Formats: sequence, structure tokens, C-alpha cells
Amino acid sequence: MNKRLFALLGTVILGVAVMAGIGTYVASAKNDSRVLDATPAGTFTTPEGQILNNFTLDLSAYPDSMFGGHGADGGAHPAWVSYGPGATNLRVPAHSAITVTIKNYDSGGSLRNDFFGAMRGTVGGTAILNGKVVTSIPSDKVGHTFTVHGMADANSQIFVSVPLKIAPDAEDVKEGYSKNPSVTTFTFITGGEGDYVWNCEYPCGDGTVARFGAPMSTMSYMSGHFQVVDK
Amino acid sequence: MSLTTRNSAPKWWDKKDVKQTFVFWVIITGLLGYIGGTVQVHSMGAPASSAMSQIISLMLTFTWAAAPVAGFVFAIMLTALLTKLHFGDNPPVDADTQVTGSPRANALWIVISAIFCLFALVVGLIALESDNEALLDKSAKSINVTGQQWVWSYDYTGTKGVRSETLHLVVNHPYVFHVTSKDVKHSFWIVQMGIKIDANPGYITEAAVTPNKIGTFDVRCAELCGLLHAYMQNKVIVQSQADYDAWVTSQPNTDPAQGGNA
Repeated sequence: MNKRLFALLGTVILGVAVMAGIGTYVASAKNDSRVLDATPAGTFTTPEGQILNNFTLDLSAYPDSMFGGHGADGGAHPAWVSYGPGATNLRVPAHSAITVTIKNYDSGGSLRNDFFGAMRGTVGGTAILNGKVVTSIPSDKVGHTFTVHGMADANSQIFVSVPLKIAPDAEDVKEGYSKNPSVTTFTFITGGEGDYVWNCEYPCGDGTVARFGAPMSTMSYMSGHFQVVDK
Repeated sequence: MSLTTRNSAPKWWDKKDVKQTFVFWVIITGLLGYIGGTVQVHSMGAPASSAMSQIISLMLTFTWAAAPVAGFVFAIMLTALLTKLHFGDNPPVDADTQVTGSPRANALWIVISAIFCLFALVVGLIALESDNEALLDKSAKSINVTGQQWVWSYDYTGTKGVRSETLHLVVNHPYVFHVTSKDVKHSFWIVQMGIKIDANPGYITEAAVTPNKIGTFDVRCAELCGLLHAYMQNKVIVQSQADYDAWVTSQPNTDPAQGGNA
């Protein structure tokens, strides 16, 4: 009986240890823990006349990860396309106006789904692209998109999708990136607290998983968490 | 002497362990049916279509049909654990009384199993037939559903090119969804309406539903589709005809044929 008891206890302990090991590995491999907080920038008046606190986020999309949050050597995958220049986990305040400016240094091509060629979820359904107000860009001129969506813990949901036009001289790359990026600025309003994700909807990964593999299937390259928090 | 012995031998149903097993069977069947049914109905949420109500009824029926089978197995197991535990190097005396090579037992097993399978098949086919009829409803509105890692988008046919990432439906109006994918396999699932259909790249699959409750419900992807699969979900808003018309009017015209910007 004692042998049976020890065998039973040993099996249970071994099972718990294996599960704990798997959990620890998954938790450590899950994500880049760094977070980029939005910067306060005065107030913003909505088209309806509501005055909200304004915060800004400055992001860039690079043809490789040398300029991203992966270090000067590009990290484990220096050739992967990447957002940056710092963390790709973003944190913004609730019930505020968030103004995002994204510089795209990369080339591109055609979207799979031209749904993502339009500005969606921004104030007025518009963005400012290289100084001009636009509501969409041609679906064959898209370099990347910045799309916030997904499950929210709060009642209010955010869906924001903005296409980034290809850099004008993206083919004339010097010192690793184009000197003349396309610059897109847009503002959207956050609701209550919630956890979202953002990702790119232009198929800019490698050939696997319908070109949604590699950087598109790895957090902190073309995707990240988007957290809306109470101030 | 032999007559006396025959009369005093208890019938098989009078044996203590048989009675005990029967009591366990009744109790476990009741518990499995009630708890299993209640948990399932609770986890499926309040139905927002007659299709979902049918699914819930079907699940309850199958749960109560399966409960006696599972209950029988658990009852025998419980009786064995409580009264037939045997320790030692030699098998117990009654270990040789197992049923082997019995045509009656084999026939009973096959017939009962076949009846259960036939029951599930017929009830399931009847439920599926109502889904097929809904696809042929000529008064139904069509909505094109596109899945892409990791977002759903909706195109409303018969409008000025209205597109959205949140699904808008009119209550008590039939709909047919034409579902496809732009990349990998997804599965379009309106949770509270009991609609789930694969979204395959290069193909169009169809599903139909008539929402019967005003409110906000959940759309999810039910096919593991990559890194952010868990976040591939949005909302469906079921509203009155007037509210729907107001929403459509507020949307930008994206149909070049009607003077809009693509």
C-alpha cells in the first residue's frame, strides 16, 4: 500500500511540475513586457463641441527591425518588418482624444481586402496624409495598416483602422530606410477601460500562413497590445 | 430439498448489489441530466433567434438521452468500488461470472446503440432541414461577410456600398450571410443566434438566420487562425427597422455606381 501511495503522490507531483513548467515557459515567451504610454498634449475639441484631454503617440513602420524596439542589431530577426521605434505595447487613457502620428518608411502593395483602405473609427472618418486630409487611399498603394480591434473588458469597443501609404522613395533606401517617409496623423476617441490588440492588415509577413507568418505572427513586430486605462 | 433451494434463491433483481446499482443509476441519471442541461443552457446564453432556441432544445434532449447511458456506467462503477473491491494475489470467486459469447447480450448492445444513433440522426436531420429552408427564403437580405486575420468586415448588398466592422441587423427579418476569407480558414459564429459556418479562402459558404431579439450580441471566430485568433471578435447589433435605416443613412456612400467614393 505504501508503494502505491508513493507512486500516486509521485505521479501527482510530477504532473503539477510539468504543468507549472509549461505555464512558466508560455508566460515568459508570451510577449515583450515594455509599454509605450501616450504623452499628454493639451485638449482636443470634438466636432460635437466636446472638450477632451488630448494625448499623442508617435510610431513608425520600418522595413526591418533595426530601428524598432529590438535593438540596434535588429534582435533575433533583423530582416523582419517592424513597428517602432520603441515598444509596440501601447497604453492610452480612457475617455480621451488620442492623436497618433505614424511615419511609414516601407514600401508595400495591394491589400487583400480593400475594407482596410479606408480610415475607420477616426474623428470625422479622416486622417492627414502628408499634410492633406484623406478618407481613404488606393488599396494598391498601402504599405501597412494600424488596426486596433478585438475583445474589450469594458462595455465600449474600439475599432480604428488607418492605412499607411507606401513611402514615396521606399525603393531608394539609404542607411537602412527611406529618408522620405509618408506621414499619417489621425485622432480617435477612447471609451472606458479595455484591453485590445492592434495589428497590421497588409500581408507583409513571409510566405507562410498566407503572408501573415513570421513578423505578422509574432508579437512586438507588426502587432501589440493596446490598453485603455483610467487616468 | 432441491425445490426448497430453488424457491429460496433470490431473483437477480432482488440481489442487494442490483438494487443498489439501480438506485445509483436513477440518482446519477437525474444529476447528470439536470446539471449537464442547466450548465449547457447557461453557458450558451439567452437565445436571440429561433435557430438558437432549437439548438438549446436539441442539446437538452441529447443530454437527457445520454444521461441514463452515462448514469448506468457510473452506477456499476460506483457499486463495484463500494462493494466489490478485492485485494490479494488471487482473483475473487465471482470473477469467472463475466458474460462472454452471449448472442443475447451482443444483440441487446447493438440494438440499443443503434436506436440511440438513429434517434440522434433523425432529430439532427430535422434541425438541419430547417436551416436549409432558411437559405431559400426569397425575402431574406444578403450580407457579405469577409474574414481576415483578425477582423470581420461586412458588406450590405442593396445599399450604397455600406461596409462596417460591426454587424447591423433588423429584428425579425431573415438574413443570408455569404461568408468568405481573404487569407486562412476562419469560422463565422454569431454566438447567441446559433449560426456557425466556415470562412474559406476562395470559396463562399452560406448561413441563414432570423434574429428575434433586439440587443447587442457576439460574433467570434471559431477556427484557430493565428496569433490574434482570440481577439477576432466583434459585435452584432440587432435593432428596429427605423434604427437600422437611420444607421444606413449615416454611413458614407462608397458605391461608385451611386456617385460615392470607393
